Amino acid sequence: MKVSYNWLNKYFDGKLPEAEAVADAFTFHAWEIEDIEKVGNDTLLDVKVLPDKAMWALSHRGIAKDLSVILNIPLAKDALANKVSLGAASTIGIVLETDNCRRFVAAHITGVKVGPSPEWLKTALETIGQRSINNIVDASNYVMFDLGQPSHAFDARHIGAEGFKVRHARDGEKLTGLDGIEYTFLQTDTVIARNDTDEILSIAGLKGGQHSGISDDTTDVIVEVANWDPVTTRRTGQRLKLRTDASSRYENGVVPEMVPYGLSTVIDLILEIAGGEVTSYSEVVNTTTVLGQVNVSLTKINNVLGLSLTTDEVSTILERFGWQYRANNEEFLITPPFERTDLVIGEDVIEEIGRIYGYQHITAVVPDPVPLLDINKRFYYSEVVRDSLIAFGFSEIFTSSFRANDEIKIANALASDKGYLRSSLKDNLKEALQKNAPNADLLGIRQIQIFEIGTVFNSSGESLMLSIGVQSPSGYKAKSDEPIITEALQSLGEQLGHMVQEKSEGGIVEINLGTLIDQLPSVSNYQNFKQPSDVTYRPFSSYPAIVRDIAMWVSGEEDETNIVSILKDTAGPLCVRTTLFDRFEKDGLTSYAFRLVFQSTDRTLTDNEVNSVMDNVYESVRERNWEVR
Amino acid sequence: MNLKPGHKHPLTQIMGEVNSIFAELGFVFADGPELEEIRYNFDLLNVPKDHPSRDMQDTFYIEGKPDNVLRTHTSPVQVRYMENHQPPIRIIVPGKVFRNEATDATHEAQFYQLEGLMVDKNVSLGHLKGTLEFFFSRFFGGKTEIRLRPSFFPFVEPGVEVDMRLTGDDAPEKLRGRWIEIMGAGMVHPNVLKNAGIDPTIYQGFAFGMGMDRLAMMKYGVDDVRLFYTGDLRVVNQF
Repeated sequence: MKVSYNWLNKYFDGKLPEAEAVADAFTFHAWEIEDIEKVGNDTLLDVKVLPDKAMWALSHRGIAKDLSVILNIPLAKDALANKVSLGAASTIGIVLETDNCRRFVAAHITGVKVGPSPEWLKTALETIGQRSINNIVDASNYVMFDLGQPSHAFDARHIGAEGFKVRHARDGEKLTGLDGIEYTFLQTDTVIARNDTDEILSIAGLKGGQHSGISDDTTDVIVEVANWDPVTTRRTGQRLKLRTDASSRYENGVVPEMVPYGLSTVIDLILEIAGGEVTSYSEVVNTTTVLGQVNVSLTKINNVLGLSLTTDEVSTILERFGWQYRANNEEFLITPPFERTDLVIGEDVIEEIGRIYGYQHITAVVPDPVPLLDINKRFYYSEVVRDSLIAFGFSEIFTSSFRANDEIKIANALASDKGYLRSSLKDNLKEALQKNAPNADLLGIRQIQIFEIGTVFNSSGESLMLSIGVQSPSGYKAKSDEPIITEALQSLGEQLGHMVQEKSEGGIVEINLGTLIDQLPSVSNYQNFKQPSDVTYRPFSSYPAIVRDIAMWVSGEEDETNIVSILKDTAGPLCVRTTLFDRFEKDGLTSYAFRLVFQSTDRTLTDNEVNSVMDNVYESVRERNWEVR
Repeated sequence: MNLKPGHKHPLTQIMGEVNSIFAELGFVFADGPELEEIRYNFDLLNVPKDHPSRDMQDTFYIEGKPDNVLRTHTSPVQVRYMENHQPPIRIIVPGKVFRNEATDATHEAQFYQLEGLMVDKNVSLGHLKGTLEFFFSRFFGGKTEIRLRPSFFPFVEPGVEVDMRLTGDDAPEKLRGRWIEIMGAGMVHPNVLKNAGIDPTIYQGFAFGMGMDRLAMMKYGVDDVRLFYTGDLRVVNQF
């Protein structure tokens, strides 16, 4: 919620510390401040009101109240401090046909003068990103952001003599909202209608209708303040794709008991800035909040928080909140204030005590080690599989669980190419083989050898699978791929003590690893843990690589590492890999064949560019009297 | 066959290290399904239907399976494990989770989460702090401070955000000395204990959940989470 510092400060007679200090107080004692920015001579705080506190904290009053507890500065004023009485009533008809309306009150104000709002009100609303419309609408909006209670002002001319009827909509009924959008309803939606003509006036808890709104020539208004069921408000809003400042407050369960405070505050403000007088009002109470008392012991408080607070320290915090409570034998019995339906169990109160006291006072305690009661068999054997395959030159990849087309369809997919869950790993593996194949030289490997261990999904459930794939450089494929997999599976079977029967096809095999592991004996210890790699990742170039081979005869005494370093030096920084791929000896000479891979991080290299580098390499090789073959 | 050994995926390496550090304190590696029942993913974790707190996680639903979701967190395993075990309980749950949100360098629709749960008679936020300090000091090197800030997750009460700060010469330079927001945590909500068949008047515990991809990114300086899932050996073979 966007919160104006100046607005908050009205609750403290201007005695707040500066905005940054306020933001820090919130961060460590209440909730995150997502943003803080200067707006005119005000500071706007974007307060991340937590969902469990949203029934009272989506308001400047709620946020000021919490701040007063955190900073231990009393509120200079509090609209909720005293019960409001709306005075004598009541001639406006209100018919409630649904329990979705928990409370409904309407007040008729005659003789108002619609016009621009006073500067302070305009500024207050504009600072928090609201548009000033006119004094009546602004008053209603202001009170919503001030107290958290939405309200709506109708032009009395459009209501008729018989008042309101709150009812379910009929399928297909329509209303054009204040936003100019036409909404079409279902029977499950709740609307406010004219009692005489049944014509829909507004969508309950969500939006007023365009037709019945305030216009420049309005003189008599009917202010409606109500409370709506959170669930039905949320469902209608979701279906209509309509979420408003009002509906988010109802969804979060602002209590029906706020209604009279809301009405009285809106009326006062309208009379102050638009004149007029209240001629009648009516109220229907459908649901009352039943608040229980919360019992919590000092022992429990300390046990949960890891603190050693005293009864006095806890009492002091409860008093800062201003809550009614009884302390007896280190047991606290707390009566929450009417707006705080978030305080239900002991832990709710413990959190309040903990955050106000300050979590920074909690001492870290490392739990005493206990023996490991269970070894995760799947993880254990998956590690055996990995180590076995890695020793055979296979690298492990992770691929997406999503596929463009498969068996299990996602109802709300992110994108059409991610519309299904994978039913096997091998299709992903095949794509990964193809994608990696052009990079074999760059990676300094003869062929792409990869595997994945992951979950797949089909109509009978999910399974843990292992897929292994090999792709040799084009041309050799048929000859070499299958034997590599066969050999790797043979070795894997020996490691696991359980032969793997599956045969590879086209250089890929997929094995139900979950089923396989189920057949293996249980284990009592993890294998010796290998420290993970401690490298720092280097981004790779997305430009293509160019490969050049060089073969040479050198005398038997020449050291291989020396040759490599000479090649690297002369090839320069564009040469990203030098791999020895052949070596043999003859007549006291050794033949070395190296593959040099060239790649730039910022451009596509040309053949000419690489050829000229290679000329230098040949040159330096010849200078050493090594014979280029 | 390639003569040189292949490479283990960085996330698996992290998972192995995480498991080995927590195993020292007796935390058992638990797991559960990725295609999860809604009641485990939400209801039993104190996230009621039609409550705004369900909006906190964007969920993938499955066509024709109205009772299932792709799990949005590893927390369902808390309930699954507690249903079959009485305290004392110490588990970690490393596993894949799914969120229906647009992907960018720091967000993937699929990623790995690390859940932790400890339930016993006197487990407090102090033990949460201690466990995490122990873990991060071992994982990153150096000395770790843990800072808790108030927050909300439906399955814990109190709920906290956890920040960490690494100090000391052993700490990686790129992470040293600054506070880093690292995870959500809290004391297991009594409703969750009750739902899983554990008496909340006798037992209490802490739970935490963090992104393993994030741990890997911090440890290895990887700047884009999506790189872990491309199957590209130009990434994997660096590790």
